[in-house]
Amino acid sequence: MDTERFNAAFEDHRPQLRAFLLRMTASTEDAEDLVQDTYLKAHAGLSGYRGESSLKTWIFAIGSNLARDLLRHRKRWPEHATDICREAALANREFLGEMMQIRMTSPQGQFEIREHIAFCFTCISKSLPLEQQLVLLLKEVCEFRVKEIAGIIGNTEAMVKYYLHTARQKMIGIFDNRCSLISKNGICHQCSELNGIFNPKQNLQEELVKIEMARDAENKDKETLFDLRMRIIQAIDPYESEAAELQLHHLQHNKQVIENYLEKN
Amino acid sequence: MAKTGTNPIDGKAATTKKTFSRTTSASIGINAHPGIIWALLTNASDFPRWNSTVTSIEGRIAPGETIRLKSILDEKRVFKLRVTDMTPEKAMTWQDGMAPFFKGVRQYQLTAGQGGQTRFVMTERIGGLMFPMAAKHIPDFNPVFEQFANDLKKEAETIQKAKN
Repeated sequence: MDTERFNAAFEDHRPQLRAFLLRMTASTEDAEDLVQDTYLKAHAGLSGYRGESSLKTWIFAIGSNLARDLLRHRKRWPEHATDICREAALANREFLGEMMQIRMTSPQGQFEIREHIAFCFTCISKSLPLEQQLVLLLKEVCEFRVKEIAGIIGNTEAMVKYYLHTARQKMIGIFDNRCSLISKNGICHQCSELNGIFNPKQNLQEELVKIEMARDAENKDKETLFDLRMRIIQAIDPYESEAAELQLHHLQHNKQVIENYLEKN
Repeated sequence: MAKTGTNPIDGKAATTKKTFSRTTSASIGINAHPGIIWALLTNASDFPRWNSTVTSIEGRIAPGETIRLKSILDEKRVFKLRVTDMTPEKAMTWQDGMAPFFKGVRQYQLTAGQGGQTRFVMTERIGGLMFPMAAKHIPDFNPVFEQFANDLKKEAETIQKAKN
């Protein structure tokens, strides 16, 4: 494959790769660096690409390995990271002011509950062991097949299935315990709280009815609710949506707060 | 009801008693790739999630490592077990105690079963010179072995069925 064709193909995959790396790292800076490094490494190794897997799979394998190298020695986030960040945000007037400024002035400053569901998933999936987080994102968000993921992470299909299953079970358990959108006993109401702040004239119930996961929560089993959550996340490009600037700013805040928290704990 | 004998039927356990030893074995056919079963058997921290007979395992399940296991057999006791042999996706041995006085050896085996199944066999032999004195205080392993094997089957088959 010549450079010109490779560049065109890489550009096609860049948005999904960037979103994947953002969800892995919870950092816009890390994600941008990793995309750049993936390009350089792939380009340098282009002569070694034999076409045994699709180019997309090959690019994601490089990106995944770079992300793994970066994150291997970093601590996992706690399951209640969003609680810690909420407390920090409420005590930080500067941050709240910036949020409001973005909300009022940016074309990508809308607050949408769907976007917050995707944002929340990024934060909570960072509490998984690295391999589980990687496999979960590759399968449930990027929609690779098990066989392709085995090639990407350099492990067996059996282990991919195992990681995927354990990751799903952990995430389902966390959401069942925390998310008030799907569970009456859910302790986290940040979606509705933030919607009240950013969209004060909106009727929350009307908004929730538009989200199948919330609307049908009582009638669906936990696995199906998780699949519906994944469908929401699949449909969102965290860089291109109408809520992108607001959510990325919020994510950057959370990353900083959790890094400080992990240093002290 | 657990059977006593040397040839357990699928999903059931059997115990053979001798003067200086006791051997319990359970066997079950599992419709899952041995790699999935192996992953379940070797990820210590994940055990309590799927295995209702284990309340906790600390340590790494790797050759030469010692793990600290708490079981529903006796929740107050911590079993310190050494992983002595491991052949990935085939066999693993855990041991505790001190020969020749008292020693426990637990073996897990995976072999190709009929119709693409994986046959899981779990065997524990406890014995030694002190065994006759301790025997009456050692609980019946059969129900726990059956539970273990059936939990493993259920979890491994659930994972196997995951979409490709």
